[in-house]
Amino acid sequence: MKSAWPLFLAWKQLFPSQRKVSFFSLLAIVGVALGVNVMIVVVAFMQGFQQKFRSDIIDAQGHARAVPLQRQLEWREDSQKIASQPEVEKVSAYMQGHLLLQNRDYHAVPFSMGIDPGQSDGVLPLNQFLKKGFIPVQGYDSKDVTPIPTTDSLEDDVVFITQQVANRLGVRAATVLLLDDQNFSINKGRLVVERLDPYVESDEWTIEFLSGDQYNLRNSLGSIDLNGSLEQIASDLGWGYPKFKLVEGITPLSKGDRFRFQTFRSSILEIYSPTMIEQAKSDEMAPPREVRVGGIFEVPWQGFHTDALIGTSRFMADMRGEENACDGFFIKFKTDYLHDENKLGELCARLEGYLEGNWRIIPWFVENAWFFDLLKFEEYLMVLIMIPIGLVAAFAIAIALMTTVLRKTREIGLLVAMGGTRFAVGMIFCMQGFIIGSLGALLGCGLALTFIRYRDVLMSFIVTRIAGEDGQAGVTQFYDFYSLEVPYPWESEQSMMTFLTFIVFAVGVSTIAGLLPAWRAARMNPAEALRSE
Amino acid sequence: MSNQEQDTVLEARGLSKSFSIVGAADLKVLNEVNLTLKESSSLSIRGDSGCGKTTLLNVIARLEPADKGTLFWGDRKIDAVSKPLATEASWRAKHIGVVYQSYYLIPELTVLENVLMSVRLSGLPITEYELRARELLEQMGVGNKSMQIPSKLSGGERQRVAIARALVNRPQVILADEPTGNLDERTGAEVMNLLLSSCTKEKTSLILVTHNPSFAQATDKTTSLKDGTLIYE
Ligand SMILES: Nc1ncnc2c1ncn2[C@@H]1O[C@H](COP(=O)(O)OP(=O)(O)OP(=O)(O)O)[C@@H](O)[C@H]1O
Ligand SMILES: [Mg+2]
Repeated sequence: MKSAWPLFLAWKQLFPSQRKVSFFSLLAIVGVALGVNVMIVVVAFMQGFQQKFRSDIIDAQGHARAVPLQRQLEWREDSQKIASQPEVEKVSAYMQGHLLLQNRDYHAVPFSMGIDPGQSDGVLPLNQFLKKGFIPVQGYDSKDVTPIPTTDSLEDDVVFITQQVANRLGVRAATVLLLDDQNFSINKGRLVVERLDPYVESDEWTIEFLSGDQYNLRNSLGSIDLNGSLEQIASDLGWGYPKFKLVEGITPLSKGDRFRFQTFRSSILEIYSPTMIEQAKSDEMAPPREVRVGGIFEVPWQGFHTDALIGTSRFMADMRGEENACDGFFIKFKTDYLHDENKLGELCARLEGYLEGNWRIIPWFVENAWFFDLLKFEEYLMVLIMIPIGLVAAFAIAIALMTTVLRKTREIGLLVAMGGTRFAVGMIFCMQGFIIGSLGALLGCGLALTFIRYRDVLMSFIVTRIAGEDGQAGVTQFYDFYSLEVPYPWESEQSMMTFLTFIVFAVGVSTIAGLLPAWRAARMNPAEALRSE
Repeated sequence: MSNQEQDTVLEARGLSKSFSIVGAADLKVLNEVNLTLKESSSLSIRGDSGCGKTTLLNVIARLEPADKGTLFWGDRKIDAVSKPLATEASWRAKHIGVVYQSYYLIPELTVLENVLMSVRLSGLPITEYELRARELLEQMGVGNKSMQIPSKLSGGERQRVAIARALVNRPQVILADEPTGNLDERTGAEVMNLLLSSCTKEKTSLILVTHNPSFAQATDKTTSLKDGTLIYE
């Protein structure tokens, strides 16, 4: 315990007896804590963004893409070969290219992709994209009750497009409105539209109850007028007609209850393909292909084309005038490969070899390297900016400790006279830096954990304050704070490394800040120190 | 009280020291000073202000190198000219206690913690010395202040604490540099009596620098420093 007294004195100078804490140490510790907090939070959030983009990208295009190096006629076999690998979860073939879309005088040339509708649960979660892209129509005396479209309606003459394309062309998918009802009551049962396929005509539908369980269903076009009982109400008129469903309420439906729905048919697009231009050159002008808009989709990954169309692969093959074509596969691996980029890279290389070099297999992080490099660069830049700020805090500590050394000159002299070595006397100040750094780092980590814990509250506060309620929608389009995953250090190795790095940085820098005053104290001539006034 | 057969705890031989003054001739403060201090004995040094008493104590304690001379700390021979070493510091911690005119208590520590600083510095176990520290404070008449911080004590009380601090780890010698210089006459006399009686009781040798002739008379040997030499009276 011989060498422990400098630590004891260092502690006591920061936290004197009979007083809770000295003002200086409080300020210094809080300063370090704020610095550590900011650095951890910034880096952790940046990593959270990266994580979010990563999962968005993997949602939008799978873990890897296989691209043929020349035309592959045997692609079906290769697809099965890939799918049979134990690491592979799903493989979806796709075709891609650009198509010219026309609605009256409006045109759009979206990036177009053909996928196999049978593989709707393939690599791309298309149903999720459709859900995200769905925007109900606002009406003052009616309510949009359109069911969210699903890949079930993806047929050869149905396409899904992005909102941007829809806006440009002035088109929409089939829509159904529930017209306001006079005898509406929350407690009553309701009729909902369970399915609205792209072939439904614009029409008005009335369902009128003749008694508690008898109803009449008719449309204004006059093609349907039938009576039924409640058990049959789910009866399906077939493709091209809306399918209704009863949701039971507390009070039963009774005679006179009436529901009126207004349907709007989906827009019809005319589509031209580059192949048609070729045909036009040889004077075989082909009529444009007519397709219906089945739904609006949105891909959460912003790097995906904003002008895009998804149809069936047969539709794409027709448009290209090519049978048996395939532009590549989206591949999704089992989840073990989600995080380890090295392992994923190796796996892709192995698959390439397995396919005899006919395909290039590009992992997602290679394909989107530009974006992640940018994010990484942003992260490094932030750290680079923050380090000097941290150093400024260190200077403040150094100056404060230096003042203490000067103020305590005579005490320093006394400690040497009492038998302290100069080295030990210097250590008092070095250790004060160390204590400030350690406590500050500890407090900073606590703050950072609180930030991470309450990030949603915090972020929504910041975003609404800075961007306002309207701007919030715009910001969240890119940065979806509400679903931002920021792992705690005990949950992820990367987060643990971030915390440890900044703890070591703070403790290191504060200790170094104590070195200069320590050296100053150790260099003091004790006899002169004792004489000083 | 002094006994010729007793061991020598401190001895200085031929100490010389001069300071260089900017724009003037060197100031010769000590000139061949010899001094011997036996176990459990006391010695007083008087002299005019600025004659070199503090310098002499500093050289003896090895806080400042001399220009010439040799020191004996017990049977340890030290070249007084060399730069002070770290090993001397730890010896000093164990064997020399110091009391100064301004008390130099550490303001962040309680009275008891201040006293125990000597124990910490000499690397002795605190727990074993805590009781002794309390007893010494009691003996100095400030036992009830042990949990106070120094800024709440009077000058006399502070010097009593400083004396307890100098004595607590049972050093062989106490170097006291005008310990009553900041105190009024009555308090000074009280504190001086305490210092002298405790040194006798603890069998600790004492070198006392003082201006007060009656305090000086109370020691076993009285000397005065004049023109750099120590004159035994
Ligand atoms: N570091 C130094 N540099 C130059 N001169 C010094 C230095 N230290 C002391 N002196 C000079 O040495 C002389 C002796 O000083 P010292 O402090 O030993 O005197 P003192 O006898 O203790 O006086 P006092 O009774 O007033 O305390 C003084 O004239 C002082 O100016
Ligand atoms: Mg003096």
